[in-house]
Amino acid sequence: MHPSPGSKFNFKHPVWNSFALRYGPAVMFVGAAFFLSLMLQPYLSEAYLILFLIAVMASGWFGLTGPALFAVSVSIIAVDYYFIAPFRVFVMDTSELPLFLSFFACALVGSWLSATRRQADDKRMAHFDELFEQAPEAIMLLDLEGRVLRINPEFTRMFGYSLAELAGKDGMSLIVPQDLRGQAQISEARRREGETVSLETQRLRKDGSMIYVSELGVPITFAGKKISYYIIFRDITERRKASEALERFQAEVAHLSRVTTMGELVASISHEVNQPIGAVVTNGNAALRFLDRQPPDLHEVRGALEAMVRDANRASSVVGRIRSLLANTAPQMGQVNLNEVIQSVIPLIDSEVRRNQVILHTNLQDHLPPVRGDRVQLQQVLLNLMMNSIDAMSAQAARRTLEIASSCDVKNLLVRVQDSGPGIAPESMDAIFDAFYTTKPDGIGMGLSISRSIVESHGGKLWATTATPAGAVLQFTLPIAESNS
Amino acid sequence: MKHPAEPIVYIVDDDSSMRQAITRLIRSVGLHAESFGSGREFLKAKRSDGPSCLVLDIRLPGMSGLEFQGELKQAEIEIPVIFITGHGDIPMSVRAMKAGAIEFLPKPFRDQDLLDAIQVALERDSARLEQAGAIAEIRTRFEALTSREREVFQLMAAGQMVRKIAAEIGLSEVTVKVYRANVLRKMHAESLIDLARMASRLKSTAPKYK
Repeated sequence: MHPSPGSKFNFKHPVWNSFALRYGPAVMFVGAAFFLSLMLQPYLSEAYLILFLIAVMASGWFGLTGPALFAVSVSIIAVDYYFIAPFRVFVMDTSELPLFLSFFACALVGSWLSATRRQADDKRMAHFDELFEQAPEAIMLLDLEGRVLRINPEFTRMFGYSLAELAGKDGMSLIVPQDLRGQAQISEARRREGETVSLETQRLRKDGSMIYVSELGVPITFAGKKISYYIIFRDITERRKASEALERFQAEVAHLSRVTTMGELVASISHEVNQPIGAVVTNGNAALRFLDRQPPDLHEVRGALEAMVRDANRASSVVGRIRSLLANTAPQMGQVNLNEVIQSVIPLIDSEVRRNQVILHTNLQDHLPPVRGDRVQLQQVLLNLMMNSIDAMSAQAARRTLEIASSCDVKNLLVRVQDSGPGIAPESMDAIFDAFYTTKPDGIGMGLSISRSIVESHGGKLWATTATPAGAVLQFTLPIAESNS
Repeated sequence: MKHPAEPIVYIVDDDSSMRQAITRLIRSVGLHAESFGSGREFLKAKRSDGPSCLVLDIRLPGMSGLEFQGELKQAEIEIPVIFITGHGDIPMSVRAMKAGAIEFLPKPFRDQDLLDAIQVALERDSARLEQAGAIAEIRTRFEALTSREREVFQLMAAGQMVRKIAAEIGLSEVTVKVYRANVLRKMHAESLIDLARMASRLKSTAPKYK
């Protein structure tokens, strides 16, 4: 009753609808049963019962109801004529009647069962077919040797190959990029072991471009035996690009934060370096003066030189430490348009804004004069303020709004970041700017402190007030850049 | 006045390299220097009676240079202060100068600038000592006067004529003239103007002179 693998996967089978091919097998099966029965009659006189039953069921399977009934009809005639005594006449002994009738009943039931079973199978195949053809994901069906049996239209859309181009070929070798062959072989081996293999990787399209896919390989077993497997591909290129952008952004944020942290430490760092350098210079001058004496005081000169060597080494080790911490970033002061800085930061917090269902308003004054400053540091300030506001509102259910406004007077630009959060308790109004002050469970409390030090290093001020009716306003001023500078 | 003690430069800096370097530089021009790692150490140490000055790092751990400057004032230790600093901190330097610092040198300073500042500071300190010495001398002389002579001294210093003084304290003009001669002699004053100057000096430094 096992269908051959060939017919199993030849889902589109218009040929089966043709009359000849439906009835042909029935004729063949019944004929075969007839001849085998004749041959076996001398040895096994009852073998015909089984053989004709098989022929009837096989006819039902391959030809459905019509050929099944045809086979039953032919079979009972043949059985009556050749195998039920008296032989070779269409009459029978009454004693043989029960046997004949039970054979007839069995043949009818057998053919009906096999025909309906086949119909149900066909229906299932048709459903599967529909699913396969219309699946929103690319599907490739492979035999155990990895040869392509079938692909769906989505596969063609995703990879650019048509079935004609792939049928019978090693499908994976065409779409696995050179450098991922090893990985693909491992998954292939696992699939052959019967494992369901899922991975995210890159695949090659026909036009040579690469796509990121989520790939799921599933073996198909029939009656406990692996007969083939299919591989489903989902295009995750967009998602992957977005997550790569996010990763880059996160690295950037980390870098920004490191840079500003180092910026905040500049005073103590420069002290650390200046101290030994100052000592070197002073010792050098002292040594020169001792040399100029008559006679020169060489003992003092030696002492000075020894101290100089020691201090120069100390300075150089400090510089080495800083360099390893800071890599290659130095603030670059230039003319900066604050509106542009604000607008450059907004896309960075966009996902946070949306994730927290915050309504973001910008109210930027046109034609703002430039300020003098480091763009990256000012971005960091705005980023800190906006992130703080978003965090402050995260706990409340009510309407969350964040407004960023810029304006200017004769001397200064003013940037306001206002939220509709719980606001700042009056007693914390100053403490929020302290380093390590935080209200967030995972905060390190550097943001506002860093921001204030950046604003102040740009000659401005950063402070907090309470908004009406609720919320906090963080605002800072920056002096307008002098036009001649 | 004589002050046999040699000028001395005190250095207070928490950084031992810098401390030793400045000490060596000061030594190289033949001055005495003594260094301390903290303000407390300096306050505890026995200091010279002679002219001196203090080279002070504005950023000291625990107590800043400015706080230390205030503490010196409170302890009535009059010593000219030269601030040095690693960071050109303008508001801090303004405060330091307002509080009477001689000089404010950002590191790295030119050695000559420091030495010049030390020179100025030592000169100022010895002038102060000299003045303090002179006033002490005048006070000694003043304290040697009798109470009647002191009375006459004050009236003379106020520019009163003999007749007026006589009327004021109820003595004859002749007697007043004798007192006047005594006062001029005892105070080593050459003229009435000289005497008036001494009186004003005494007034300026000793609030309770009679």
